[in-house]
Amino acid sequence: MNEQQKVNILMVDDQPAKLLSYEVILRELDENLIKAHSGREALDILLKTDIAVVLMDVSMPELDGFELAALIRQHPRFQKTAIIFISGVHLTDSDQLKAYERGAVDYISVPVIPELLRAKVSVFADLHRKTRETELLNRELRSLSARLIATQDEERRRIARDLHDSVGQLVAALSMNNGLALLEAKHLSPAASGALEQNTELVQQLSKEIRTMSHLLHPPLLDEIGLLPAIKLFAEGFAERSKVDVKVELSDEISRLAPNVEISIFRIVQECLTNVYRHSGSKTAFIKIWPSDEKMLTVQVRDQGKGIPPEHRISMALGTNHGIGLSGMRERARELGGTLEIQSNENGTAVTAAFPLTSAAAVGV
Amino acid sequence: MRTRFLIVDDSDLVRKGLRTVLQANPEWEVCGEAADGLAAVEIFKEVRPTIVIVDFQMPGMNGIEAARRMLKIAPAVPIVMFTQHANAELEKRAMDAGIRSVVSKTDAFPMVGIIEALLGPVDPKPSAEGTL
Repeated sequence: MNEQQKVNILMVDDQPAKLLSYEVILRELDENLIKAHSGREALDILLKTDIAVVLMDVSMPELDGFELAALIRQHPRFQKTAIIFISGVHLTDSDQLKAYERGAVDYISVPVIPELLRAKVSVFADLHRKTRETELLNRELRSLSARLIATQDEERRRIARDLHDSVGQLVAALSMNNGLALLEAKHLSPAASGALEQNTELVQQLSKEIRTMSHLLHPPLLDEIGLLPAIKLFAEGFAERSKVDVKVELSDEISRLAPNVEISIFRIVQECLTNVYRHSGSKTAFIKIWPSDEKMLTVQVRDQGKGIPPEHRISMALGTNHGIGLSGMRERARELGGTLEIQSNENGTAVTAAFPLTSAAAVGV
Repeated sequence: MRTRFLIVDDSDLVRKGLRTVLQANPEWEVCGEAADGLAAVEIFKEVRPTIVIVDFQMPGMNGIEAARRMLKIAPAVPIVMFTQHANAELEKRAMDAGIRSVVSKTDAFPMVGIIEALLGPVDPKPSAEGTL
């Protein structure tokens, strides 16, 4: 096994001879064996090192194994640390129960059968290794997911800006030229002036489409004015397009937040409303944003639809091509030090996200 | 006295179009142009226009902020916002900042009507034939 894969096994006993005997038995496992001669030393090591398994004798002359186990378990970090008791005394069922209650995950009786000790220790060593790998993968996944979200935001912002700066301005110029031509309508044939009239209509429509597209991608109101007007406008547009009645309750006390918080909240509301339209069957929706206390901002989107059936939880979590889904939203909240919860039953769904305001560093407009 | 316009928009194309539309009226003249908010405020101080037409979304300072600064210098100058993003929320914020009207960029000709209304009735010129 290479060095990186080895886990740390902590052996605690106040008798050096005992420690040596455990070491001899466990050497074959090719993990890192660490010795501690006292409870204090054990705790010290636990605090500084990532320990997969703690091995200790229940009845050490100077040190009570049960007490030490209890002490270890008091630390929140070590709630799940594997502790194997070695017991010289024949343990009755009730003693064993006590051992489990005190935090052991296993015990082995003396005289220790080497193969047995190795087998038990390696189970927990492997478990720890797998857990460590999973945590690493989770961290990578989360970081990838955060980058993906950031990239998507950047793309949308860029496209919206391009729509405005190039396509939109061309449409504006087109519109003005058309208007200028129309001034001469009386000098034109009915067909020609009719075509120009139609152009006016078409240009209006073109402009509206671009405006809608660009607002859905990245509303300029968000950057320039702030979250509240952007949400109000989005809700209005959404209500018009979807025929869902949207009520918006936004607390006046919210001043400008950090840009990444504002965009995340906006996207969460956007994603929630899209889900309301696509899946809930609800004719109404409520958006509420309020400071839930001086440190937290809460965002809630509720509907009165049919709820998320359990079999859809997974596909909703992953999202469709049109959104990054609920787990994307959760990721956004988590990245900003916040939380996101979904409550859903046959009477409706509520998505509630909370963000710490301190990280937002509210800036007055 | 001709009406003097300052037009502010980061798009050359739009400024050119606006100039043509506005100068169709012989009494109207574009006396200054700016491509961003900061430049707009500086040119405003220099040329002291009769009226300003300003875009909303521009690099750096947006049109509402630029308008606010211009109005601090000369509060009575009417400012009209000419934007791709005309909507109720923007209008509210624009009017709060002192902008008189928000017009969509596809409504350049209706804007002409709005400008005429803002500039007020033209004094009847004395003419040889007597009153109009």
